[in-house]
Amino acid sequence: MSKDSQMRAAINQKLIEMGERERLKELLRAKLVECGWKDQLKAQCKDVIKEKGLEHVTVEDLVTEVTPKGRALVPDSVKKELLQRIRAFLAQHATL
Amino acid sequence: MIATARVSLTATRTCPDNNKLVAVTTMSPAGCPHVNGFKVDNWKQNLRVIYQCFVWSGSAETRKRKAKSCICHMCGAHLNRLHSCLYCVFFACFAKKHIHEHAKSKRHNLAIDLLYGGIYCFMCQDYIYDKDMEQIAKEEQRKAWKMQGNTVLYRYTCVCVWEKYSTWEPTKRELELLRHNPKRRRITSNCTIGLRGLINLGNTCFMNCIVQALTHTPLLRDFFLSDRHKCEMQSNSCLVCEMSQLFQEFYSGHRSPHIPFRLLHLVWTHARHLAGYEQQDAHEFLIAALDVLHRHCKDDNGKKANNPNHCNCIIDQIFTGGLQSDVTCQVCHGVSTTIDPFWDISLDLPGSSTPFWPLSPGGDGSALNGESHTTGATTLTDCLRRFTRPEHLGSSAKIKCSGCHSYQESTKQLTMKKLPIVACFHLKRFEHSAKLRRKITTYVSFPLELDMTPFMASSKESRMNGQYQQTVDPFNNDNKYSLFAVVNHQGTLESGHYTTFIRQHKDQWFKCDDAIITKASIKDVLDSEGYLLFYHKQFLEYE
Repeated sequence: MSKDSQMRAAINQKLIEMGERERLKELLRAKLVECGWKDQLKAQCKDVIKEKGLEHVTVEDLVTEVTPKGRALVPDSVKKELLQRIRAFLAQHATL
Repeated sequence: MIATARVSLTATRTCPDNNKLVAVTTMSPAGCPHVNGFKVDNWKQNLRVIYQCFVWSGSAETRKRKAKSCICHMCGAHLNRLHSCLYCVFFACFAKKHIHEHAKSKRHNLAIDLLYGGIYCFMCQDYIYDKDMEQIAKEEQRKAWKMQGNTVLYRYTCVCVWEKYSTWEPTKRELELLRHNPKRRRITSNCTIGLRGLINLGNTCFMNCIVQALTHTPLLRDFFLSDRHKCEMQSNSCLVCEMSQLFQEFYSGHRSPHIPFRLLHLVWTHARHLAGYEQQDAHEFLIAALDVLHRHCKDDNGKKANNPNHCNCIIDQIFTGGLQSDVTCQVCHGVSTTIDPFWDISLDLPGSSTPFWPLSPGGDGSALNGESHTTGATTLTDCLRRFTRPEHLGSSAKIKCSGCHSYQESTKQLTMKKLPIVACFHLKRFEHSAKLRRKITTYVSFPLELDMTPFMASSKESRMNGQYQQTVDPFNNDNKYSLFAVVNHQGTLESGHYTTFIRQHKDQWFKCDDAIITKASIKDVLDSEGYLLFYHKQFLEYE
């Protein structure tokens, strides 16, 4: 594993251990609902389902089709805030 | 293929192994037939353990274990939608198909998504939803959540719940009710639900204008529309029940004006000083109404008898704030602090007999709230700065200082200790001094969005510690408010008329003039004189 991915794994471990990952997930969830991202994605999913047909569509189809759009639609302000929180967390637990 | 007379429960999918068409079960809460192989012996407990240890880890111990062990057994990655095999201890990525390889080689056809807890069936090639397993998943998630003691921020929609938010699932009874009442109402952006005129019963516009403001207070509306009031009063004179009835009338969809004669009668019964057919003060009515509602609500709480100051009724939850009063002795600089509850903030205006200007230095509230002084108009922030400025009590009003043990001159300062969810500002336009009675019509500009941070007790403390420049945290949303109702008074002290602007949906405003409701622009609202200003917190925190 590269040094970069080692670092990522270590940070991830720390976030899980301290329960911070769950808190960040909830914060992100709330922010994405507020800014309307959830509704936008819901609409996208409905489109995919209509396209593929309700009987045949799988979760995998949705994930493949919707993920790139979903990633692009996340507002910069949300990304900024999450990054800020993660940085603050790392600064607090600087043993890494 | 299975031929059936009724609607087929099967669909077809191409099996990747041999390119043959296979029949697979479509989604239903009955899961899929392949789950039955798993549901043997102590499967429920085993599944619970998997959820507790690897999906929703509540305790520090399980979290540590999860952090260490949740990596792909094939490539070591912790991302890529990690799944755990349900039949053995094997974690692998989904995105790189590592878990698929395991499933194929070991014939372990069920796996669980470690991020979201979904169960994947490799035979059906999709996530399946088994009622029993879903039940376990929900319970474990709730347990882990409770253990962590998280707080979550929600905008507007909270009805004071103490649990993690989960989507609503109807009970059997609710499903029955829904089937028997098939009519559905869609709330579109130009929908007028909740708007209704009120007939004037003889100078009762002072009551009508407050009713409009209250029926458009989001949290109060949510409380009454979800039937949260359980009445324990024996008589028919419960004002809270009447309020509940009023909400039913407003949201019934009827467009004809409502005649609030029962409400008027109850107000006369419980607030004698407001009885009679002469014009009353809308602000007085607001305070009297909140007081009666608070008293009648207290009958809901078993705890009322013990502590009248710590009521947890809906009125207190929404409207009660804490005002801190600090009296500083000018000799020994000892501070005596008291905190009093408040339902509204009454603000003096320039033009009254008490001098308004100059304001004290420190805390640039007006820059924060985007108001400019270029036009020379007084702003709401100016009034709040004046309200929270330190005031010399003068030599004729010496206070007994517990530090000096004698009467000394002192300064007094008011700040906000605890902000209410709904903040009501009362602009003191009616002057009743010994010499004269008049109405002050000075225009006061007020904003759509208000940040109360500069007026908080905590801000004052940091100012006193020398931090004059308030570092505004753009992510701290606790003190931000949005305007949602404005009560205006037209006319003179002797004869006047009250109307209300209320906010419907995000940016639609309407003017309520007794029985007549008309659309208004934001400019109309902000240009109006303003007598009572109602602001609602933008972000609500659960405790």
